[in-house]
Amino acid sequence: MTFRTKLFVVFTVALLLSVSVVAVGVIVVTRRAFDTLNRQHSEALVAQFEREFERRKQDVDNRVQGIADTEATVRMAIDLSRPKADVSVYVNDARGVSQSHQLDFLDFVASDGSIISSNEWPARFGYKMDWVTLTEDWAPLGAFLTKVDTQDGPAVGLMAVSTVRVGDKNLYIVGGERLGKDFLASLVLPAGMRALLYLDLDPNFQATNLLDQSGPVTQAERFAPFIEQQRSVPQPQTFKILWSTDAASAEAFHALPLVGREKELLGVLLVGSSQQEVVALERRIALLALGVVGMGLLFGLLLSWWGAARVTRPVRRLSEGAREVTEGNWSARVDVRGRDELSRLSSAFNQMVEQLSEQRERLVQAERVAAWRELARRLAHELKNPLFPLQTTVENLRRAKEQRPDQFEEVFHESTGILLSEIENLKKIVGRFSDFARMPQPELAPVNLNDVVRDIVKLFEAQFGAVGRPPITPELHLEEGLPTIQADAALLRRAIENLVLNAMDAMPAGGVLMLRTTHESGDVSLEVSDTGAGLTPEECQRLFTPYYTTKQHGTGLGLAIVQSVVSDHGGRISVESESGVGTSFHIYLPARPAQQTVGVSTPISAPEDVSPAPVRPVESAERTGRGDTVATATETEDVHSAPETHGEGA
Amino acid sequence: MSRRLAASSAALGLVLGLTLVGAGRAEPSRRPKYGGTLRVEIGAIVNSLDPAAAAANQVEAAAKEKIGALLYERRNADGTFAGTAGSGPFRIAEWEPGKHLALAANTGFVGGRPFVDSVEIQMGRAARDRVLDLELDKADLVEIPPEEARGAAERGIRVSTSQPDELVAVAFVAGRPAADDARVREALARSLDRPAMVNFILQRGGDPAGGLLPQWSSGTAFLFSTAADVPGAEELVSQIGHPPQIVLGYDSGDSLEQSLAERIVVNARDAGIRLTGQGSSEGPSGPASCDARLVRLRMPSPHPRAALVNVMGAIGPLIGLQLAPPAEGASAQQIYEVERGVVDSYRVIPLVWLPQVSGVGARVRDWKAPAADEGWPLADVWLEQESP
Repeated sequence: MTFRTKLFVVFTVALLLSVSVVAVGVIVVTRRAFDTLNRQHSEALVAQFEREFERRKQDVDNRVQGIADTEATVRMAIDLSRPKADVSVYVNDARGVSQSHQLDFLDFVASDGSIISSNEWPARFGYKMDWVTLTEDWAPLGAFLTKVDTQDGPAVGLMAVSTVRVGDKNLYIVGGERLGKDFLASLVLPAGMRALLYLDLDPNFQATNLLDQSGPVTQAERFAPFIEQQRSVPQPQTFKILWSTDAASAEAFHALPLVGREKELLGVLLVGSSQQEVVALERRIALLALGVVGMGLLFGLLLSWWGAARVTRPVRRLSEGAREVTEGNWSARVDVRGRDELSRLSSAFNQMVEQLSEQRERLVQAERVAAWRELARRLAHELKNPLFPLQTTVENLRRAKEQRPDQFEEVFHESTGILLSEIENLKKIVGRFSDFARMPQPELAPVNLNDVVRDIVKLFEAQFGAVGRPPITPELHLEEGLPTIQADAALLRRAIENLVLNAMDAMPAGGVLMLRTTHESGDVSLEVSDTGAGLTPEECQRLFTPYYTTKQHGTGLGLAIVQSVVSDHGGRISVESESGVGTSFHIYLPARPAQQTVGVSTPISAPEDVSPAPVRPVESAERTGRGDTVATATETEDVHSAPETHGEGA
Repeated sequence: MSRRLAASSAALGLVLGLTLVGAGRAEPSRRPKYGGTLRVEIGAIVNSLDPAAAAANQVEAAAKEKIGALLYERRNADGTFAGTAGSGPFRIAEWEPGKHLALAANTGFVGGRPFVDSVEIQMGRAARDRVLDLELDKADLVEIPPEEARGAAERGIRVSTSQPDELVAVAFVAGRPAADDARVREALARSLDRPAMVNFILQRGGDPAGGLLPQWSSGTAFLFSTAADVPGAEELVSQIGHPPQIVLGYDSGDSLEQSLAERIVVNARDAGIRLTGQGSSEGPSGPASCDARLVRLRMPSPHPRAALVNVMGAIGPLIGLQLAPPAEGASAQQIYEVERGVVDSYRVIPLVWLPQVSGVGARVRDWKAPAADEGWPLADVWLEQESP
C-alpha cells in the first residue's frame, strides 16, 4: 500500500467516523425525542381516560341517585318498610328501571340485604347482598369499581349505591355500568391509538378477558406477562410489544390498573400507541442521515484523495528520484518547493546524490587506475616471458658471430627459429588482450534462453561423447513458458559456451553436465553445473578476475568474458562449488530490458586493439546452503565495443 | 299510606274473588243473548287441528285440546276425541294454520246451539299484547300467563283462574350420567326453593308442588315437602366428592320455563351443583345434550288416579320409570304410595302447580273457569253487546 493510499485511508476513516458519530447522534436524539413525545401523548390519553372515568363515576352516581329519588322507588321503600311486606310485587321492577336509566346493573336490595329485584340476574331474588348493608352512608363514597355477579358470569362494573330510608328500614339501590367493550367504544382516541381492557375475573390470565372495542383481542397471550405483573404489583407501567419482525409493528402500551374499593385489582386499562409512524419517521430521518453521510463520505473521499495526493506529491518525487538513482541515473534530482520538512528532505536528498555522484566518480577513477595498474602488471608479466628468450637468442647470435663464426650459420638458423616462435607467442598474447578489450556492446533483442541452451547442447553433443574421452551426460531442466529476455543472442551464446567448456574441462573423467533455467522474482536464471573436482574458496574468490586460471593452458579471460557479458545484460553471476562434488554457475538475467547505465565513467583510453574492461573486484563472498563459498560478481560499469570473439576457456 | 294500603288490599281481594269465581262458581246469570263473535287470543301456535298429529310442544298440545273440545262432540274412554271435526258445538269456518282459526256455531250440536255465532281465535300473540288487546277491548277472552295474573288484576282486568291443574316439574332423562346418580337428583330436589318460585316468579299465581297430584285432587299433596333443604343438599353433594354438572333443558319460547330454569340454576349453586340452563325449541324431547328437562303436564282429569296415570304415562319413557301406575279402582292410599314411589325416586321433581288463567272481556257473560278435564266453555258464554 503506497503512502498516498495509506494517507487517503486515514483521511477517509477519520471522516467516516466523524460523520457516523454525528449521524448516530442525530438518530439517537431523534429517537429519544420521539419516545418523549410518545410518552407525553400516552400520558395525556391516560389523563383523559382518568377524567372520563371520573365523569362516568359521577354520572353513574347521579343516575342511581336519580332512581332513588323517583316516586316509584319511594313508594317501594314505603311498602317494604311495613311489616310482612310483599316484596314479590317488585321482583321485575329492576329490569324496566335499568333500561329507562340506561344502566347495565341494577339491584333493589332490602334492608336485610336480600335482593328484591335484579336486572343482571333476575333469578337471584331473595339472595343476600350483604356488603351493601355494611356501609352506613354510601353518599360520600360515590361510584366505585367492583366485581358483579351476573347470570352470565362475573363482570366488572362501575357501581354506585343510593339509600332510601323509611323509618328504620333502608332500601338500597345498587346500579352501575358494565366495564367492557362498550365502555372502550365511548372513549375518544386519536388516530394510531387504541384502548384495551383486561377484566381480572379469573385466578389466571384468560385471553378472552382482554377486550377492545369490538370484543376479545387477537394474540392476547402476548399481554400475559404484563398482566401478571399488574396482578402482582398493580401500578402504572409502560411496555412495548413487537407484533412482527418489522420494527414498525411495535406498539407501546401504558397500563393503568383499575382497583376496587378494597384496592383489589379488577382490571387493567391498556392504552396502546402504534409506533408505525414514529418508526417510519425515524427511518426517514435515518435514511436522510445516511444520505448525508454518503454525500459527506463521497465528498470526503474526493477531498481525501486530493489532499493525500497533494501531501504525498513531494514524497513521490523523492521516491521517484531515489528509484532513478538506484537505477543508475545519477543526474536525478528532486524539485524543492516550499520550506517544510519535506522540502528540507528533498534538498538533503539532492545534496546526498550530488555527494554520492562525486564519490562514485572518484571511486571509478581510482578503480580505473587500479585496473590499469593490474593490466600493466599482467601485461608486463605476460610479455616478460617471451621477451627473455628473445634476448637470450639474440645474445647467442652475437656470441656465435664473434666467437664461433664457423658455427654461426647453424646458430643463426636455430636462433631465428626461436625468435620467430617467441614473436608468434607475443602476437598471440597481444591478440588475446585485444580481443578482450574489444568486447562488443550487446545488441538487445527478444531471446528465448531455452532455445539458446538447446542449441549449445546440440553443438557440443559430439564432444560430450567424443571417442577417447569419458562421456559427459548433459541434463536439461528447462522451465516451460520461460519469458523471453532482452539480450544479445550471440554474446549470450559465447558466455554460455565458455561455461560449458569450463565444465567439460572440469570433468576429465566424465560426469554430468546439468543446465537448468527458471523464472523467479522477475529474473530468468540459468544454472550450469558439473560434477567435477570442484573449486576451493580461494579459487572461487578470484574466478572472475581476468587472466586468472586454474588450468595449465588458457588465458584466464573466459569467465571474465562471461562476467562482462552478464554485466552488460544487467544481470549477475555467482558460483557455488564443493570439493569432490562439483561446481555450479548461476546467471541471473532480468526479464525486463536491461538498462543502459548512464553517467558512469567513460571507457578507458587505450591502444586501439586493447581496451581492457576495468572491472570492479568481487565485492562480497556469500555462503550458500551447500556450505561453500559463493562468489557473486556484480555489474560491470563499462560499455565496450569489440569484434565478436568466441568463448575461451578460463 | 293508609289509602295505598287500602288500594292494595282491594286489589288482593279482587284477585281472590276472581279466583273463587274461576273455581267453578258462575257469575250471576242474566238472560243470554244469541249472536256476536267471540274474539279469543292465545299464545300457542297450532299448526294442525288433527288430534293425531303430534304437537311441537306442550303449549301447542294444550291449545289443541281446548280447540278440539270445541270441534268434537265427545271423548272416548281414553280421552281422545270421538266423532268428526265439527260435530261439536262449533265447526271450522276458516283455518290459517298457526295464525287464525274461525269457528262457526254448529246449529246441529246435540248440546244445543252456542249463544255466539262465531269464535275467532288469534294464535301466537304475546302475553303482553293479549292483555293489552283485552284492555283495549280488541279481544274478549285471552290467555294470561299465571305469573301475570296478579298484575292484570291490579290493572282492573277480569281474571279467571282455575284450580291449579298443570304441573311443572324437572324430569331427569334416563341414561344420562347425571341422571343416574340418585344423590345428584335428590340434592337438586332438596336445593329447590319452591315457595320463592311461587311468590316471585308466579307472583303467587300457583302453588308449590311436592307431589304429582294437587291437593284439591288427591288430598295428600301436603304430605310432600316443598321446602328447600340446602344443608341436606350440600351433604349429598359432599358425598359425591365432586361438583355435579347438570344441563337443564327448557322451552326457549316459554318465559315461565326460562325464569324457573334460571332460578333452579341459582338454587342448585347453593348446594354446589353446577347446573346450566339450555333453552331449546326442539319440542318436548329436547336437545340430546340435556340431562334433565322442564316438563309441563296438564291434568286430563280431576280424578287422582287418572291424573297420576297420565303423568306417569307422559314422562315414564323420558325418565325410565320402572313403577307401574295405580290399578283401576285403586284406593287413595295405593294411589299415594305409587305417587310417593315416583317422587322418592327423584327422577321427576315437582316444582309448581299452575292454574289456567284467562282474561275475560267486559261483554262476556256466563264465563266460568274450566276444570281439569274441561276445555273452554265457549258454547255457554254469550256476549252482552255486539262487537264493533
